[in-house]
Amino acid sequence: MNPSPEGRPEETDMELINRWRAGDGRAATRLVGRHSQALARFAASAGERDGIEELVQDTFVRAFASLDSFRGASTLRTWLFTIERRLMLDRRRAERRSRETVPVEESDHVSEYGALDGLIAEEAQERVRKSLDALSPTQREVFTLRVQQGLSYKEIAEVVGSTEGAARVHYHNAIKTVKEFLKDE
Amino acid sequence: MNKCTDSDIQEMLPDLLHRALADGERQRVEAHLATCDSCQEDLEVLRTVKSAVVFAPSIDVDSVVRQIPPYRTIVPATERPARTRVVSWLVAASLALVVLGGGSVLLQSNGSLASRSRIQQPALRIAKVPDATKPSPAESVARSRTVVQPIIAPHPQALALAADADGLSDGSLVQLMNDMNGFDALPASEPDPVISVDSGDSL
Repeated sequence: MNPSPEGRPEETDMELINRWRAGDGRAATRLVGRHSQALARFAASAGERDGIEELVQDTFVRAFASLDSFRGASTLRTWLFTIERRLMLDRRRAERRSRETVPVEESDHVSEYGALDGLIAEEAQERVRKSLDALSPTQREVFTLRVQQGLSYKEIAEVVGSTEGAARVHYHNAIKTVKEFLKDE
Repeated sequence: MNKCTDSDIQEMLPDLLHRALADGERQRVEAHLATCDSCQEDLEVLRTVKSAVVFAPSIDVDSVVRQIPPYRTIVPATERPARTRVVSWLVAASLALVVLGGGSVLLQSNGSLASRSRIQQPALRIAKVPDATKPSPAESVARSRTVVQPIIAPHPQALALAADADGLSDGSLVQLMNDMNGFDALPASEPDPVISVDSGDSL
């Protein structure tokens, strides 16, 4: 248990959950503050461009609404990633459906990358983004969860609904692709 | 540069980056890195990827927390389905309808079977039996006694009263019709097998 800035030992997620269940609203603030940025980074790394804040919010609302089903078998963060990933998949399905009915305009492509291009100023970051774009969606999820979030293969398998072995294979293929891409650039 | 074949070490590189290794493992990985260019290159790639975090917006924690309902107002997952409860009631109502409907159909079919079996029971035969106390043929007709006797109906739906009408004379038929006009009503319940009706009496 890490010490808090005040010197007291940092409360675990489970302790905060129990406090929230007992009616302490500040416990929810602590939990959201602890995990929200990781969720935002995961969404961005997984290719989400717009509405990340809304996605993170939906993830927490869903998670807190079904917190009774969280038994602590995995870490809370892994569980949150799992919920967020499901929401992302739902969003993508909905987007695909709307694209099937609404003709895609050229400006859509421009706006999709335009905002990000402005935000990723440094060349190195741009190269990394491009190398991640070269991965398959699952490879990218596995790779970013492993490298950026530091999850174990077991946790990754849980998040992406796969096996540890499959997660390992995805990671090795991903690092090979990224390495080659960065070398060629 | 030779490719490293130590997959254990390769897999631990992200953990080294996140300082998630136990001391022993960390020392082992660092010792390997000192001699392996391939793993050094991998670690450099991982560092670049980790530090070049794709832009993620800063999350307003308070606005997120405001959307979270307090614990007590959340319906527990096990009790949640208000919709499911409605569906359960609908299913129960449907089942009740099916059972009641089926039951009534069954009762009805039993009833029709019973009435059919009644029809197939010996039907009533109306015959004119001459009254021994009335020797005159005219009086015999006028005062004849109508006797209803069981007969086997030639057809399930044949009327018992009409079963033997062919054998009656015109006068007997007239008398029979008059007798029938004097009936208050046909019996609603199953008639007794034999009913005797005196011609001058009303039922």
